[in-house]
Amino acid sequence: MKILVAVKQVAALDEDFEMRDDGRDVEPDFLLRDLNEWDDFSLEEAVKIKEAPPAPAPAPAPVEVVVVSVGADEVDESLRKCLAKGADRALRVWDAAIEGSDSIAIARVLAAVAKREAPDMLFAGVQSSDQSFASTGIATAAFLGWPHAAVVSNLSYAPGAKSAVFRRELEGGLLHEVEIQCPAVLTIQLGINTPRYASLRSIKQAAAKPIEVLSLADLGLGSADVGEAGSLSRVRRMYVPDKGRAQLIAGDVAQQAARLAEIIKEFKGAAA
Amino acid sequence: MSRTDAVTRILFESFSAAEVRLFYLLGYGAIAVFCYGVYVQIRKYRRGAALRLEGGVWARFGAMLRSVLSHRTIARRDAAAGGAHRLIFYGFVLLFAGTATITLEYDILEPLFGIRFWHGGFYLIFSLILDLAGVALIAGLLFMMYRRGWLRLPKLDYARPDRVPGDPDFDRPQYRREDWAFLWILLIIGATGFVLEGARLVWLQGRPEVWDTRWWSPIGALLAQGMRAMGLTEQGGAVLRHGLWWFHGLIALLLIALIPFTKVKHIFTAAASLMVRDPLAAQRLPRVPESQVEAGAAKITDFNWKQLLNLDACTKCGRCHEACPARAVGAPLSPRDVILSLREFAHATLESGVVPAAAELDIHGKGPGQVAMETLWSCRTCMACVEICPVAVEHVPIIVQMRRKLVEDGAMDPLLTKTLQTIHKTGNSFGESKRKRGAWSKALPFPVKDARKEPVDVLWFVGDYASFDPRNQKVSQVFASLLQEAGVDFGILYDGESNAGNDVRRVGEEGLYEVLATANVNAMSSASFKSVVTTDPHSFNTIRNEYPDFGGKFEIEHYTTLAKRLFTEGRLKVTNPLKYRVTFHDPCHLGRFNKGYDAPRDLLALLGCELVEMGRCKANSFCCGAGGGRIWVPDPVGAEKPAQNRMKEAASIAGLEVYVVSCPKDLTMFEDALKTTGNEGKFVVKELIELIREAVPARRTDEVAA
Ligand code: SF4
Ligand code: SF4
Repeated sequence: MKILVAVKQVAALDEDFEMRDDGRDVEPDFLLRDLNEWDDFSLEEAVKIKEAPPAPAPAPAPVEVVVVSVGADEVDESLRKCLAKGADRALRVWDAAIEGSDSIAIARVLAAVAKREAPDMLFAGVQSSDQSFASTGIATAAFLGWPHAAVVSNLSYAPGAKSAVFRRELEGGLLHEVEIQCPAVLTIQLGINTPRYASLRSIKQAAAKPIEVLSLADLGLGSADVGEAGSLSRVRRMYVPDKGRAQLIAGDVAQQAARLAEIIKEFKGAAA
Repeated sequence: MSRTDAVTRILFESFSAAEVRLFYLLGYGAIAVFCYGVYVQIRKYRRGAALRLEGGVWARFGAMLRSVLSHRTIARRDAAAGGAHRLIFYGFVLLFAGTATITLEYDILEPLFGIRFWHGGFYLIFSLILDLAGVALIAGLLFMMYRRGWLRLPKLDYARPDRVPGDPDFDRPQYRREDWAFLWILLIIGATGFVLEGARLVWLQGRPEVWDTRWWSPIGALLAQGMRAMGLTEQGGAVLRHGLWWFHGLIALLLIALIPFTKVKHIFTAAASLMVRDPLAAQRLPRVPESQVEAGAAKITDFNWKQLLNLDACTKCGRCHEACPARAVGAPLSPRDVILSLREFAHATLESGVVPAAAELDIHGKGPGQVAMETLWSCRTCMACVEICPVAVEHVPIIVQMRRKLVEDGAMDPLLTKTLQTIHKTGNSFGESKRKRGAWSKALPFPVKDARKEPVDVLWFVGDYASFDPRNQKVSQVFASLLQEAGVDFGILYDGESNAGNDVRRVGEEGLYEVLATANVNAMSSASFKSVVTTDPHSFNTIRNEYPDFGGKFEIEHYTTLAKRLFTEGRLKVTNPLKYRVTFHDPCHLGRFNKGYDAPRDLLALLGCELVEMGRCKANSFCCGAGGGRIWVPDPVGAEKPAQNRMKEAASIAGLEVYVVSCPKDLTMFEDALKTTGNEGKFVVKELIELIREAVPARRTDEVAA
């Protein structure tokens, strides 16, 4: 019995950042890296299933939680956090050719990992906090041809069961309760649980657990499957838009009010 | 037999040989029970974790003896209890020594070597002293009974803030019964001793060597006169003496046998606890050895033997209970009850022949003897409990070690989790970019040196609050200007500095503390400076007391001592004396933790302020509630906050103008409490640095651009 959890190390902007020379991303020095917030929840969900008291006979096999991430070696730090929080094993896929992949190409890699690992469930976060495509998980399901569901906010799943029941929140306060056949891909929403804290000691101790690094070849993929060649989209540029306008209106109250009315009319005119 | 030989203590006279044998048998029995009890207790302590004590045994013994003989720790903040205990203690010790010397002569020296000293003048003087000791003992006991029975001191109320009425261990009536039984047994032993003495005199009134020297036992003699007046004859005296002798003897033997099993054992455990006291118990928390898998205390046996001994030393005096700021505002924590719970737990699990399985040793939870996480998280590690405990119980390391386990399990407030993650990520609790750490200094008209790039005399360790909190940044800017004007060559570490870790460690996140301490020690070690100064007492404490364990031995002072020196050296001059009526709040980490009581007060005097102390000041200062990481966790809504409790205390000072603090967190906590207690407009909260600025106006008004 195995749950595969796909995680991502996301980047957040530091103060006074600068853009990369090619203008398609931020200079890496100005990025603070951390595990994607959504992935904290999907990992917790998997670990909770692992830790739940075992159902009565027939004695189910122990649950193994495996985390996987696509990225260079700085990602190990986030993987170690996952190991500290209760994942049993960590996999990291990397090859220089993966650079420049979009979410579809990453999904292709993850699908190859899923085929290799053959889990009973694959969890991913709904989206990543830096790119917010919200497509990697579902695209992975498409490559695998597995049943899938997005934005899961409640899950009941007994390890080893043939199906799982989950709930999703819909517009207007509706809840959607769905049964899904396993193996399936679920993208997990924030708030589904309370992710645990990984103490620094546990992270340090997790350094003893191995992180297996896989190459494209290990997964039966070639460089044409990833990178810009394997992607359906390409970043043209990344930039800070021009600042919105702000002006100080001078004069006494009557003058200020008159000017304000003028501005409002201008905007209304523009909208009409 | 000469005349002086005849003047001696009458022991077994008139007893049959069988009776004497029976008494010896019972005596040995009592001693055997006592020894067995001691063995069980020591075995219990040895089931705790190992600990090596620093320092020589004799120095420790000497320190213990000084505390015990002077009763210094017992008399603090409760002179009456101290006085009464002194009477009981000295009375008991003398009476015990008297009895012991009789045994020494009668059972050892005389039969073996033929030495006798228990007669003549020596006996008479001793009998006088013992009579006085008996009076002292009884007087002390009567006062203690009055205190327990009539004074109804809240600190002697065993009702627990961490349990509700109806819980089996809510107010523990068995403790009350034990207290009274102890007092009564001692009183009965003392009183029967006197009646026995009187009866013996009546019985032996025909013997001049007894009767003529009777006034050397004045109480006994008085009682004898009384008994005779009531018609007691010599024969009657003999019978009474015989019966009472047995009664008195049996109770005394019973007491001896019971020592290791009852509160009487504090005679030994309190003394031992004082002997193993760590003067830096709260200031320097224990490291977690690399080899230890589990951080913190999960099982009772994770405490070391000294801590298990601490548990048994507690005399339930309630002083820590009274001093605790968390308890004062109704939080579910009393340091006394943490100790007593764990003691009960150790008693239930570690006193039998075999140690139960690990699952039964779990001290976390809500069951009897267990400590709930709400209790542990209520602690502000303010050290008020450790500081006042008369028997050197060290609560803070016990609480923090238990929290370490909670942190490992992630059993904490989600906001605290977030803060710890933030500190790990950014090195500060504000979640600001590392790069912005020194940004407050940009508002100054002069550059602040980067101590990483050039040598300085004084390295200023700024700390999180003084670096990032907007209100405290203003104070930092003022302090920088003062240093500059006084010609101090100083610099800061800019983004080389991280959160000092004092509070992270007290939360119980030891791994993160190690990361922070190591980072700071490395950053500081690669800078060149003569000494360190900080405006933050929390950073001050950990750098001073804890960084040495991480290889960082720096000379550090709090700004109050540096500022005072700048005044005495004439580098700062008061040109605008302040006439404010002020009160001063001792920050826990400056005052109690590091005994920095004087410098701030001297400064206030230098500035011309009139200082009116609050009732709770110096060692008894009342925590603002921010310690132990509690600044990151909001207090329960509706309930009073410690800072509000403190504000009310300050507000009762007539004509108060300024409530002076000398800690960034205090400024934040008390400015808030000033508003929420409705005292805004009546007086103001100010950082001492700001008062200095007022009294020492900037040389050019445009110098501080802030
Ligand atoms: S350290 Fe302070 S808050 Fe904590 S138990 Fe002791 S007195 Fe109470
Ligand atoms: S721990 Fe110390 S201060 Fe607290 S009740 Fe026990 S003896 Fe008194």
